[in-house]
Amino acid sequence: MVKEMTEPKTVLMIDDDVDFVRAVRALLESAGFKVRAAGNGRDGLQLAKTLEPDLILLDVIMSERTEGFFVLQEMRRVPALANKPVIMLSSIYNDVPAFRVDPEAGWLPANLFLAKPVDPKRLLAEVTRLTTTAAAEGRQQ
Amino acid sequence: MNLKPDLNIGDWRLETAMPISAEESVIFVIDDDEVIRISCEQILRKSGYKVETFGNGYEGIERMKQVRPPLLVVDIKMPELDGFEVIKIVRKFDPDVVIVVITGYATIETAVDAMKMGAYDFLPKPFTPGELRLIIQRGLERWHLAQEAKLLRKQKEEVERKFVTLVSHQLKGPLGAVKQYLDVLLYTYRDRMPVETIEWISRSQVRIQEMINLIQDWLAMSKLERGALGDRNAASDIGKIVETVVQEHRELPLASGIELTTGVDPGLAPVRGDVVSLSMVVENLVSNAIKYNKPGGKVDVTVAGDGDWITLKVSDTGLGIPSDFRSHLFEEFYRVKTPETQNIPGTGLGLVICKRIVDELGGSIEVDSKEGEYSVFTVKLPVAAPGQEPED
Repeated sequence: MVKEMTEPKTVLMIDDDVDFVRAVRALLESAGFKVRAAGNGRDGLQLAKTLEPDLILLDVIMSERTEGFFVLQEMRRVPALANKPVIMLSSIYNDVPAFRVDPEAGWLPANLFLAKPVDPKRLLAEVTRLTTTAAAEGRQQ
Repeated sequence: MNLKPDLNIGDWRLETAMPISAEESVIFVIDDDEVIRISCEQILRKSGYKVETFGNGYEGIERMKQVRPPLLVVDIKMPELDGFEVIKIVRKFDPDVVIVVITGYATIETAVDAMKMGAYDFLPKPFTPGELRLIIQRGLERWHLAQEAKLLRKQKEEVERKFVTLVSHQLKGPLGAVKQYLDVLLYTYRDRMPVETIEWISRSQVRIQEMINLIQDWLAMSKLERGALGDRNAASDIGKIVETVVQEHRELPLASGIELTTGVDPGLAPVRGDVVSLSMVVENLVSNAIKYNKPGGKVDVTVAGDGDWITLKVSDTGLGIPSDFRSHLFEEFYRVKTPETQNIPGTGLGLVICKRIVDELGGSIEVDSKEGEYSVFTVKLPVAAPGQEPED
């Protein structure tokens, strides 16, 4: 396994549902990722700044209805986090048609928006893809 | 300036003052007879009411632009604009004001007609101060009760709206978490599980998804009830919606072994409707075409334009719909019950939602089918009004 020889990639989950975090954490860890988690936007942003994870999984509705969107905006203002891959994960996916139909339009500075519950295979594929591309881009700079 | 009875009522609503609080209530008296005006004013002032009097209907109606009285006393027989016409105009912009008509003994029948038009009560001439006070008092009570009922109704609607949104999210949360556990469990430990365990977990996933879909449909029905779906003023790129929805379905395990194809005419005009509503329509039709298909079957989604109309066709090579069932397809909670369909999960709301959205947008939906061979759902939607750009 090549993965075990390189430094494991770190994923930060910002989500207030402990069970969802636990399930996804188990999935990601089984694939060799290191997972850290925060239960609200404020803690998540703080942790993102100190941890500088390789990827962030971000919920939308936490204590505020659009908390995830605000956290994302804040992140993009922090130079170290401005280009970090972010996957939004939310059960409101179906209610955000603009992003769904036209993700390239750029109204939301996330790399991807997936519906909750998420298909494990798809999530692993996307997390792997995004952490690999980010690393490759980082080397080029 | 004289106001005409056919004045633009629509603009009035914007100019009118806020409803007046109970203590400050003003009573309007419209009567061409000066003696009646003066005596009404004296009697009512003595009882502590504020009174404004008008010699004709136009003046009274004009004044109602600035002040909304809870109660209006109006004479039926007046030379310029009679009581009937006053009631007719006032009712158009103020459904709440309590109207009492004054009438001579000879015209009791006209008073009854006035009540049919929305007057609350009538006062036959001549009347005593006591009769006037009593009828005014009752009329104001009526107004207060109506106001309270109105407020309660509004609060109730707001609570219901919030309830549906909140509850649907709170129901989806736990269900989503449970399903996520099962999804990860099956994905991670499949190789180490007995066949029966895998089977049971798979069934649990299906049943939970059923529940999630039901909540989703319930939320959609609630949005439809309050007119929050099927926006006629929006314009959308239906081709893009079709491609997105079909691509999402290609990745679902349910669609494995089924060939999904699309054919979207290039250069289509934007279609009338918002992306949320149109996505629901396409989503429901495509998922039905997959669910009610046969192994190795096909689903084809096409969009074509023809002048002012855009036609969306969702065809499958599936089970087909027996003709007896076809006329019930768009009824709430109706589901086709045949041996082939009994294990297919569904809410019985999908096609209802489709039809109601399409109706709302001024389009139509039809079904053609041959049992055991195919089903084709054809949706016709009007193109958006010129100048409307697709939202996104």
